[in-house]
Amino acid sequence: MRHPNDGTLRRLLDEPAGVADADRAHVADCERCKAGLAAAQRDAAAASAALDTEVTVDVDAGWQRLSTAPATRVRPSRPARRWRLRSPVVAAIGVAVVLAGASAAAAGDWLEIFRTERIAPVTAPEADLIKMPELDEFGELTPIEPVEIRQVADAAAAAQATGLTVPQVTDLPKGVSGQPTYHVGARASALFTYSAERAEQTARAKGHTLPPPPPGLDGSQFRLTAGPGLAAMWSEGRPTPGLVVVRAVTPTAYSTGVPFGTARDYLLSLPILPANVAAQLKNFSAEGTTLPLFMSVEHMKSTATDVGGVPATLLTSRDRTMAAVLWLNGNVVTAVAGPLSGDEVLAVARGLGAR
Amino acid sequence: MLVGRKGGVVVSMPRAVRADLEQVFRSAYPRVVAVAARVLGSRSEAEDVAQEVFLTFGRSAVPAAEALGWLSVAAAHTALNHLRSGRRRAAREAAVRDGATSVPDVADAVVTLDERRRVRAALARLPRKQAVALVLRHSGLSYAEVAAALDLSPGSVGTTVRRAEIALREELNRHAPSE
Repeated sequence: MRHPNDGTLRRLLDEPAGVADADRAHVADCERCKAGLAAAQRDAAAASAALDTEVTVDVDAGWQRLSTAPATRVRPSRPARRWRLRSPVVAAIGVAVVLAGASAAAAGDWLEIFRTERIAPVTAPEADLIKMPELDEFGELTPIEPVEIRQVADAAAAAQATGLTVPQVTDLPKGVSGQPTYHVGARASALFTYSAERAEQTARAKGHTLPPPPPGLDGSQFRLTAGPGLAAMWSEGRPTPGLVVVRAVTPTAYSTGVPFGTARDYLLSLPILPANVAAQLKNFSAEGTTLPLFMSVEHMKSTATDVGGVPATLLTSRDRTMAAVLWLNGNVVTAVAGPLSGDEVLAVARGLGAR
Repeated sequence: MLVGRKGGVVVSMPRAVRADLEQVFRSAYPRVVAVAARVLGSRSEAEDVAQEVFLTFGRSAVPAAEALGWLSVAAAHTALNHLRSGRRRAAREAAVRDGATSVPDVADAVVTLDERRRVRAALARLPRKQAVALVLRHSGLSYAEVAAALDLSPGSVGTTVRRAEIALREELNRHAPSE
């Protein structure tokens, strides 16, 4: 008979009942296996002695500490939900940037009509945000460089893949530990071709009729780019990350020969955009440099702050379970987010090396 | 934070604290501390790890029936992660050792401390799966529990634990203090 393997011998020490009768009988009569068993026993005893640490625990004290930790203070239970920041890429590749783009472009060349110099929250009731159309409801959206996120080995690899400086977190917030995983995405870009017919279909499906589009809008094209970007995520032993630090090149939009002001005014006047959203977008659409950050007024609050002297936007969920802070440095946006308090994300943001 | 539909940024909201947290805590806390203590060799650090693990568990949707296995694995991983970032601890131990040289009575304690340091260093060098299987088995989890927790077949738990014990012995011998 074949000798039982080392694993079987090892189990024989702990759980003989878990080992087949034939194996047990074999070992009892086999000098080689008996020697193997003795060696396993020596190593097991040595490991047991090495790992043995006498511990007496005070369950009540432990529970007292846990139940008074900020993260576990009892909150009314509610179903998990998700909120979306329709940016930077959705907004960039979304209606918003096209709407916020300012200058007209000359025919034949790609002209920059939008670059991110400022991030501003656009708040609306969640019901309105859900109603916000996606760009492909107005035309054809073709990925040129698709969004592809991949994990890399370490910070150096993330820096090399993106050409960005990797922010260094020096002091982790309480409850977050371990090493981050690094993720990178190359520059993503897409081509959007406006289709009057598609827009009309979308409007009809929502019970609206569109006014005729201005001349030249049907078939006109926009090129939208964002990235590269990187993220460091601390999610050890957690179902969701405990802390995320993201850095990315901000979105830019280009156009080929569209009378853009006319197009923008037309789109903003469409009945399918919630009126309050359209009104907020109108306020900064003249600049062509403000990236709108959509957020639901029921769940999120935004506060102007600063990180290292740079203006920043702090977003906190109204139930105080989530916070994020974003700021721009040139054409690079950095965000620190997590299931943390506003003070905690600000402390991480302000303490970042290589800011 | 994840990249969602069409590249948008989607942030998951954390769940509210689960209702059975206290019940699970009271039954599993001693085990979780014991697992972490086997890795860290220190009760206070093991208690810190246990707090961290239960905080995460409290916001998770891990089924109650799988809680003990999940908590044990999380405690082993979190404690092993602490070992990796254990420079502060090493410095602290060195400080204790330096202080102890002038107090001959605690020479034994110094030897124990050094032995512990070598065990932690050896554990940190083992392949992660071996280290976790070793710690869980020596914390009293059955082969079936270790198998379920690490997604191994019960048959391969013995092999993994055996390899870990051999590797631990070799690591300790390789870094044994020269007499």
